Amino acid sequence: MVLARREHPTRGGQPLAFLVGLIFALVVGALLLWSSGDPVVDTYQRMWERSFGSADVISATFNRAVPLALAGLAVSIAAKMGLWNIGAEGQILFGATAAAGMARIGDSWPGPVLIVAMLLAAAVGGALWALGPALARAEIGVSEIITTLMLNEVALRVIRYLQNGAWKDKEGFGFPQITPRPPQAELGQIWQRAHLGVLIAVGVIMFFAWFMNRSVWGYELRIAGSSAKAATYVGISMRAKIMGVMLLSGAVAGFAGGIELTGTATRLNENISNGFGFAGIIVAALALMRPSGVLLVAVAFGGLQVGGLSIQSLGVSSAVASILQALILFGAIGAAVLSTYQIKLVDRKVAS
Amino acid sequence: MILGSLVITEAAVIGLVVATIQFATLLYLAALGETITERAGVLNLGVEGMMAIGAMAGYVAAVATGSPWIGLLVGGLAAGLLALVHAITAVALGADQVVSGLALTILGLGLANFLGAGYTNDARRALFTNINVPGISDIPWVGETVFSASPVTYVAVALGVLTWFVLSRTSIGLGLRAVGESASTADAAGHGVTAMRMSAVVIGGALAGFSGAYLSLDLVGHWSEGVTAGRGWIAVALVIFGAWKPGRVAAGALLFGFTIALRLRLQPFGISFSPILLSMLPYLLTVGVLVIISYRARNQPAPAPAGLGIAYRREER
Repeated sequence: MVLARREHPTRGGQPLAFLVGLIFALVVGALLLWSSGDPVVDTYQRMWERSFGSADVISATFNRAVPLALAGLAVSIAAKMGLWNIGAEGQILFGATAAAGMARIGDSWPGPVLIVAMLLAAAVGGALWALGPALARAEIGVSEIITTLMLNEVALRVIRYLQNGAWKDKEGFGFPQITPRPPQAELGQIWQRAHLGVLIAVGVIMFFAWFMNRSVWGYELRIAGSSAKAATYVGISMRAKIMGVMLLSGAVAGFAGGIELTGTATRLNENISNGFGFAGIIVAALALMRPSGVLLVAVAFGGLQVGGLSIQSLGVSSAVASILQALILFGAIGAAVLSTYQIKLVDRKVAS
Repeated sequence: MILGSLVITEAAVIGLVVATIQFATLLYLAALGETITERAGVLNLGVEGMMAIGAMAGYVAAVATGSPWIGLLVGGLAAGLLALVHAITAVALGADQVVSGLALTILGLGLANFLGAGYTNDARRALFTNINVPGISDIPWVGETVFSASPVTYVAVALGVLTWFVLSRTSIGLGLRAVGESASTADAAGHGVTAMRMSAVVIGGALAGFSGAYLSLDLVGHWSEGVTAGRGWIAVALVIFGAWKPGRVAAGALLFGFTIALRLRLQPFGISFSPILLSMLPYLLTVGVLVIISYRARNQPAPAPAGLGIAYRREER
């Protein structure tokens, strides 16, 4: 039995692969729930009702999808150049830290001014957090996979450090938490619970969908991503492209941290990213690094996460949501392979 | 940054050495597994998830049977099974190793938290007890630290020596390294690339599981959500720090273990350096080492397996 590449890949493969992955995840998830004595139907029903069941919960799902979509976008920007930004988590954290720093400077500024300043600071912070790995990759070819990964853990500890020291809330009764952001630095609601960040995120994604696919810069990027030789031949600087794409990727992820701080969170804390950076990688992979796909998958994952939190009241662990997300990816990988390959039964001796 | 005066007492130094060995054991088991996996050419970023599964399954099996040894084995087995998922997707199906590995971390943490939910705050204990050899363990300094450690520490040392021996002195090890350097050449030479890589991933997973079980059955002594606390990422870092060599990885484990121990054991020395800043050190050191490796690689071959991270499909040879 061997895997043989199909002459023509199955059309519309990826949405189908996602669907197969979803079904696979739900079936395996059901088996898991059933084997640990949890109510399968009730759990799934509750998850659906609390994520897509009404306008109110859909708006919450949208809010949750924002950081997932931006992190996914960040990953897919880097991927256009064949680079892996595994550091979206750290860039979100440091972006949020920079935004919180800006809020400390401008705590008396009017809301809109402060929000814009915070979001800009977040993007710059995220780009700064990607600067080291970008330089190391562009100048001496250090793999960005591990450097960006390592900086995630460092960013987490920067927040922990500030939380226990310089930025500790003096009115927190000694509890190590950071002073809340100013109340005026809050993105307003646009529909039900959905905040303005949803619209901003959609705008950012639409911009990058154009920028990556239609602009000259994006075109050069695709050349550089597919062949360094071809790029050098037509005068595209690989160094400049690597730096540009990594900083842009970091900025988008950092921006997500700023949206979180002005949208759903009231203060900077270690959990402000909640694994969005890692989930964003799964989102981007499922979307085949396409911005429009990232948006759709992020909404689906946002729903899973919001739904996952709701089943705790049934006595079911919210970890179900993480399990389902990972299983969707594994199921989709299997389905995608089968849409490009087919299993052929052949005589082993002949095959090899 | 250093405030207060340095006070060195025998108890504080011994405490520091003991804690260093404990954390080194934890990190070494997982890093050794990742070393084997990466030497076969497969990057597995699922270490954190595999450790979590090992910690949870190990704890549950140990309290059910009353034996920490059974717990250790079950922890390894569970993590090995989890690693099989990565072996199937990233090796057999040729999916991207980075994505598959990260999804494995999410799956492992999720499964451990889901299946182990009922065991958080469980008061039952079936822990390893430190070796105590009358006479040897009583020797001042050395006896109190090196010769009265957890039995798992000796298991880790033995596995390290075994791994070094197999990798560098046997034909299986040669084949594994060949597969990691150039899959197509190894395939042409008659090595089963897929089988070899899948086995390496599963064995690597089992070792990460041992590490997790050591965490819940010895170092921390219980299971709870988030007990792995990012140590799996340090293990991934350690493999690079140790240049993919079991011996150097062991030295790195002691160094990284020391920084973790120092952070927890600074107080007895009367020093108040921010323990949080110190906890950034292993990650920053790894970035530094990576930069040095790459800088040097312009003149000499890099220590990383040449085929690391590249999926192998025979018909694309």
